Amino acid sequence: MISDITLGQFFPGFSPIHKLDPRTKIILATLFIVAIFVANNAVGFALMAMFTLVLIALSRISFKVILKSIKPIVFILLFTAIINVFITKGDGAPLLSFWIIEIYEEGIARAIMMALRVIILIVGTSVLLTYTTSPISLTDGLESLLSPLKKIKVPVHTFAMMMSIALRFIPTLIEETEKIMNAQKSRGADFTSGSLVQRAKALIPLLVPLFVSSFKRAEELATAMECRCYRGDKNRTKLVKLEYKARDFVFMALLVLLLVSVICLSTLPYNYPSFGFIYDLMFYKV
Amino acid sequence: MNEILRIENLSFVYGKGTPFEKVALDNVSVSFEKGKITGLIGHTGSGKSTLVNLLNGLYKPTDGKVYLDGKDIWENPKEIAKIRYRVGLVMQYPEYQLFDETVRADIGFGPRNLGLTEEEINERVIEAARFAGVGADLLDKSPFELSGGQKRRVAIAGIIAMRPDVLVLDEPAAGLDPRGRREILGSLRDYVNQVGASVILVSHSMEDMAHYCDNVVVMNSAKVYRTGTVKSIFSEAESLISVGLDVPMISRVADELRRRGIDLQGELYTVDGVKSAILRYVKEVRK
Amino acid sequence: MNDCIIKTENLGFTYADDEELATAEIPALAGVSINIGRGEYVAILGHNGSGKSTLAKLLNMILTPNVGKIYIDGRDITAEDFTEDDMFDIRRKIGMVFQNPDNQLVATVVEEDVAFGPENLGLPREEIRRRVNSSLSLVGMTEYARHAPHKLSGGQKQRVAIAGIIAMKPQVIIFDESTAMLDPQGRREVVDIMERLNREENITILNITHYMEEAARADRVIVINDGRIALDGTPREVFSNVEKLREMGLEAPQGNELILELKNAGIKIDGDSLTESECIETLYKFLS
Repeated sequence: MISDITLGQFFPGFSPIHKLDPRTKIILATLFIVAIFVANNAVGFALMAMFTLVLIALSRISFKVILKSIKPIVFILLFTAIINVFITKGDGAPLLSFWIIEIYEEGIARAIMMALRVIILIVGTSVLLTYTTSPISLTDGLESLLSPLKKIKVPVHTFAMMMSIALRFIPTLIEETEKIMNAQKSRGADFTSGSLVQRAKALIPLLVPLFVSSFKRAEELATAMECRCYRGDKNRTKLVKLEYKARDFVFMALLVLLLVSVICLSTLPYNYPSFGFIYDLMFYKV
Repeated sequence: MNEILRIENLSFVYGKGTPFEKVALDNVSVSFEKGKITGLIGHTGSGKSTLVNLLNGLYKPTDGKVYLDGKDIWENPKEIAKIRYRVGLVMQYPEYQLFDETVRADIGFGPRNLGLTEEEINERVIEAARFAGVGADLLDKSPFELSGGQKRRVAIAGIIAMRPDVLVLDEPAAGLDPRGRREILGSLRDYVNQVGASVILVSHSMEDMAHYCDNVVVMNSAKVYRTGTVKSIFSEAESLISVGLDVPMISRVADELRRRGIDLQGELYTVDGVKSAILRYVKEVRK
Repeated sequence: MNDCIIKTENLGFTYADDEELATAEIPALAGVSINIGRGEYVAILGHNGSGKSTLAKLLNMILTPNVGKIYIDGRDITAEDFTEDDMFDIRRKIGMVFQNPDNQLVATVVEEDVAFGPENLGLPREEIRRRVNSSLSLVGMTEYARHAPHKLSGGQKQRVAIAGIIAMKPQVIIFDESTAMLDPQGRREVVDIMERLNREENITILNITHYMEEAARADRVIVINDGRIALDGTPREVFSNVEKLREMGLEAPQGNELILELKNAGIKIDGDSLTESECIETLYKFLS
């Protein structure tokens, strides 16, 4: 159902991840992103991957869905991996060398880590935010987190209100677009064939009515909101108040711990001759 | 019967194979007479809107056939756009489709897409405007300056200008006041008489059905519930009420009088019909 | 009537047409004086463009009158010293439900939409919760509290919009053609709620409409034509003016039309015919 787009990627549920405060999740996602970029050796990545797996398990989102989320980026992953393999120059002798192509150990290591980094980044943030948080609570969370900016006159509330109204009206507008398209098709309009210019021109009978009705909607909605005593965030309370619960603090502590560990791990020197090959492999830096 | 549209064993299922699967039409067969105004009535969700979208090829049937003038409209799926011109659909609140700078250009949008000459287009615009009750003085105005009722008529003219064999109107009078209603629905009869086209009128209003239609198709939960002439349909008031449709107050009044032994005869579903019946009855009694 | 919740004196309003339509500025309302008593159930009838919606917008301070006075709950809202805070106080007292149900719902969840008004009033959370629950149950939408509005039928959306207004505890609710875009089922639902709010909650109801069946259910009908009050009285009084209503582009109930037609055909018939049963009795008495 096309009009369900407002839900975006959201899968409603009651898992511990779903129940987290949206603000917590935004903070967690930020820390997570920092950590994944700090991680620079196999142990760091392994830690991040493990943490991501725990998140997936806790969120009760099926593995199929997770794999699906990676599918659209497989091409980009492969592409960057291949580029990395080919262009990275190593210190030692190349593993493989023919014509102008030389492949080094470092190149392969780099390609694997880059791919891992992107996969963990996408999966982790999806599970933390888009899959388990409705767009509307995400908006609420952002508004609340950014509210200190109100002191320096940033209209945080207005932006949040705009975002939530946009979310509310996306399905309505999609429905309307379909309706107008059908109406113009009945009058012989053709949206799918012809040159680029012709197609752009063919959109006029769709776009003009859409704009006209959107402006009308906007005006009517504004009147309706005023009639319901809307005056910005002046003296405004909220039905749903965001509240940090114990679990929010637990998760935040966990992520801080994760970040600190990844940072420590990343500072460990590579190449202690006395620790041998395994150590080198674990702490090889990219 | 000389029929223009016929549907046979038509079914339509939304979202087939998904958890949202919903049967909107269930093995429906019905035909629409040429040169007549046929009312299509049923409450929301009865399948009438789906049927309308199937008649002009906007939807493809899950099962069954739609015949226009004896020919299966999906025989050649590539030609389906042509079917849409022949079965002109006026959607609900059609004024939302207006976009051009002038009323003239907007009504001419369809004919222009048909690739007609300027002369032919102009001829069709003038003809369509006349049938839809759009005054000649409005043709060079912007459609956005017009009143709600005028916009509605311009939008209807835009479809009439395609010269469809069948004109399908989905609630053409929705939201208009009684005078606007009368003007739009009243012009349909002239159109049918002069052009010989067929009209299918989708409406919630039993009063409109009684007033403006020749035949009625009653839909109920994805099936055709009753079909027949206006008179035959309204003589079974009870059965309409049983599926949650309102019959006009006046036919309920006439029904009750007959039940009490006042033998009224005639078209007992419009004010005029009941008036004549009472006058005849009074004459009889006085004799 | 002593206890007037709404009182207007010689009200006039003209839309300033700044667009190229420099046609003579036709007043949308002229010389309108009405008194609406507390707890009344009034239908305002008129054709499209008769000025009936303009009246509603004036009462709610969306528009400001050019001439005349408006008193809401005894206060002159056209007074010079009327502040913005006062205006919001009026808007809280006079709720408004509009025509297009889609264009008045703000939130993506039903209960959050109902909470929108009380949130704007700055009420404490527990009070908002109480009001949301009681308003939704008044309009029979409790089971849809967590639904998305765009999935509801037109009638259901309109009921949510009404709940959003009730949650502000208004003294008056103006329905500005709120049933015009609904199917018969939805229209019935909304009109039933109007009646219930009037009878049980003692809220003053102004139903602006062009459906005479709806107007017939009110206690009082005011007909507006060309910006002026043309008729004002009980439905029975107003709908006995069949010919006058026709001239104004309106209709009377079919029973009234029939009796008039019969009279015009030279038949001497008398009696009430506003409702179905009255019409049956009148005709039966005459014919038997």
